[in-house]
Amino acid sequence: MKLVALALAASLPVLAASLDADKSKIMGNPDAPVTIEIYSDFECPACRNFHMETLPQLVKDYVVPGKVCIVSREFPLAIVEHKYSREAANYATAAARVGKYPAVADALFKTQASWAASGKVWETVASVLTAAEQKKVQPLAKDPGVMSEVQADVARGQAAGINRTPTAIVKRGSKQYPLSDYGLKYDLLSSLLNDLLK
Amino acid sequence: MTFSSRTWRAVALVSRIALGAVFAYAAWLKLRVPWQLFAGAIGNYKVLPYWAVAPLARTLPWVELLLGALLIVGRWVRTAATAVSLLLAGFFTLMVWAYARHMDISCGCFGPNGDAISWRTLLRDGSLLALSLAVTWISYARRRKAA
Repeated sequence: MKLVALALAASLPVLAASLDADKSKIMGNPDAPVTIEIYSDFECPACRNFHMETLPQLVKDYVVPGKVCIVSREFPLAIVEHKYSREAANYATAAARVGKYPAVADALFKTQASWAASGKVWETVASVLTAAEQKKVQPLAKDPGVMSEVQADVARGQAAGINRTPTAIVKRGSKQYPLSDYGLKYDLLSSLLNDLLK
Repeated sequence: MTFSSRTWRAVALVSRIALGAVFAYAAWLKLRVPWQLFAGAIGNYKVLPYWAVAPLARTLPWVELLLGALLIVGRWVRTAATAVSLLLAGFFTLMVWAYARHMDISCGCFGPNGDAISWRTLLRDGSLLALSLAVTWISYARRRKAA
């Protein structure tokens, strides 16, 4: 809930989806000097940790002050252990169309163990949507446009050499730096952002 | 074969310069990106705490550059070759350790986002270690001969 509130506060300055992503997937000012694209898989435990622990700190320290803009990208891993990753990504992307991406992402990560075991992805998504939003989101998740948006994220990540989640691509001007695993430890990420923002 | 033979001297010279060039190149690849990226590669081995990872990531590439430069120009060769051998032995041990544990991480040898550890990277770094040990041995053998 705290993350959703922070995300809402941070997304207020979003004027246009100039970063080639639905504006609900963008946190912060798109004109911020540094952009971080975060590729994650809703069924990945490391992504959950990043979302629950590191992301709120990043939002508070860098996104809310307007220094950094965060773009969420889908990267459902095609592995047998992640049976519902793609479905979750489709629902989250569909929810972005009604401005509910942060709430849905939050719910999916929070209850990851539960829906990953039961397969009740829609029930998790629906729990943070109003009845009217549910009516829009459920069919949208099967819409070719939404599915191709998810696939476009995957293709974008693969083109950037991503093969694991979560991976963050930190961009400043024409330079970009991919970070994953230990590189996403908050102290290190914060140190990099501070250097890039000097 | 003696150390005074021209062929042997040429092989020793080429080996030393090649090893120095590899070290200098590896250092340059790390120095051209923010140190935090190399710190991430070091941290992925999970053998050092953060307080040790950050200073190591900041200094190691400069040490590699210095050692590479010394080997290329031929100054303090014994010291530089010994240090390079010790460093490579350390790197190789870590890589074998990570490989044995099936850790899917970049070796960090040639920049933070280099090759993932595999038998190929082990073969490459093992060959470099063998070359380094040879250069070190030659440098000490020359001193003994000169004495």
